[in-house]
Amino acid sequence: MTFMNRVALGAFGLALSLVSGTALADVVVVVSAKSPITALSKSQVADLFSGRTRLFPNGLLAVPIDQADGSITRDEFYTKISGKSAAQIKAYWSKIIFTGRGQPPKTVSSSAEVKKRLLENPAAIGYIEDKMVDDSVRVLP
Amino acid sequence: MPIQPTQPARSSTRNATHQLTAVVLVAMLWHPAGASTEDPTTSMFSFSGFGTLGVVHSSEDDADFTSSRLKPNGAGYTRAWSPAVDSTAGAQVTANFTPQLSAVLQIIAEQNYDNTYIPHVEWANIKYQFTPEVSVRVGRIVLPVFLVSDSRMVGYANPWVRPPVEVYDFVPVSDSDGADASYRINVGDFVNTVMGTYGRNSSRAPEGGNVIGRREWVVSDTVEYGAVTIHLAYEETHLTIDSLNALFAAFRQYGAQGNALADRYDVDDKPFRFIGLGGMYDPGAWFVTGEWGATQFHSVVGDGTAWYVSGGYRLAKFTPYLSYAQVKADSNTFDPGLTVSALPPSLAAPAVGLNTELNSILGSIAVQKTISVGARWDFLKNVDLKLQYDRTRLGAGSPGTLINLQPDFRPGVGVNLFSIAIDFVL
Repeated sequence: MTFMNRVALGAFGLALSLVSGTALADVVVVVSAKSPITALSKSQVADLFSGRTRLFPNGLLAVPIDQADGSITRDEFYTKISGKSAAQIKAYWSKIIFTGRGQPPKTVSSSAEVKKRLLENPAAIGYIEDKMVDDSVRVLP
Repeated sequence: MPIQPTQPARSSTRNATHQLTAVVLVAMLWHPAGASTEDPTTSMFSFSGFGTLGVVHSSEDDADFTSSRLKPNGAGYTRAWSPAVDSTAGAQVTANFTPQLSAVLQIIAEQNYDNTYIPHVEWANIKYQFTPEVSVRVGRIVLPVFLVSDSRMVGYANPWVRPPVEVYDFVPVSDSDGADASYRINVGDFVNTVMGTYGRNSSRAPEGGNVIGRREWVVSDTVEYGAVTIHLAYEETHLTIDSLNALFAAFRQYGAQGNALADRYDVDDKPFRFIGLGGMYDPGAWFVTGEWGATQFHSVVGDGTAWYVSGGYRLAKFTPYLSYAQVKADSNTFDPGLTVSALPPSLAAPAVGLNTELNSILGSIAVQKTISVGARWDFLKNVDLKLQYDRTRLGAGSPGTLINLQPDFRPGVGVNLFSIAIDFVL
């Protein structure tokens, strides 16, 4: 194996690990295991996190929990749910905030914090990295 | 259009505004911070801010380009590069007293009618959320006539340097002192919001006096479905433009014909109607948006129809966009006026003067078409930089939306506009 081949292989391996690394950090939408909610569509989740609706489809009040601005989990969640970048989400909330029409969801600093909020409040809905999933939460398909 | 249907209140309702602001402030201070029982980890108050630093250059140096007819000057004649057109700064405090009761106070500094930048109260209202679907606000609130009425001052929230003036100049104010009620329902994936607003507004005009909107009401409906937003609004108000009163009082000195002309053209508690329809499709990677609006105003200000379409494509942090906008007059831009030949010489001379003044206002009704290209660059977190080029063709005989027309100004020409703006939110 020549030196160049090794470099190429190394680069390929690095690229592969980066790709799989991203895939491992997949984001899932979760509610408390005690929540009656078992499924939500992408647009229903998007409506809850954009403040377009404050209610779950069953009529119960929903409390969305966001992750900190600038976190990878947050960026991935919004890309997945609405196809929007962090700047686009910020621009959207600027519209809402500066007319007093509403405030963005409360933010917490990590997936562990999200799970804590779900335990405290069965009405809460959040998103976490899939490796953080455990019995306390229900993943919404 | 030198003077137009409008209304931001700044002076005749100044006392009312101060009272309103005081009420909102007292309500905010009444509850000490952190007293919110719902969630001890979050403060009851949230502070936010926004701003735009921008300069505009116009190729037409015998007139001024402005972003609003309530501004006294802009780019072109007054300044080759004007910071006054787009620059603004705003600060806001929102208080959530209980999950149902909240208040908002927003202060904005921008170029005022008198060329100062003294801040004014843009919003000061108290909101009560009766149910997740129904809310009522009282105080200084938004006048929701356009698709981006809510955020027309917040550059960061918009794709362009400024909303197209062709449409947005129809109603240059964004607030009203009164109350609104909002009802939102979800049907499947559709979210529908109906809103009713009632209030009044008074703004100082660069020409002097106030522009006052009384018995002002708006009904609007917003439908949101995934990436689609559709907004429909109807506004009716009774407008008075103080600076025109003397002209029509003079017309009324000329008997039946003078009275008839004054009745036809004066702006003294005259009904002003606006209907607007706007839509946006924004799936994330690109967007397309457009608005159409028409006014009916039986006065010297006239009737008009305007629309724009705009689209952009997002390439990582860059969003290039392209827009087309136009406004046309739907009412006469000339009137023969008083029949001078029938008057004795002593009355004929001033009558000629009155006819000339009437026709200079009628002739300034905006007619123009604009093609815009620009790009937004989200180069820092919460900060963007925008560059925009507008090519405007003024309608034959019309100064378009330009103001401060100089003797050498020729209507109907083409105007090139270059804008640079930095928008931020805090």
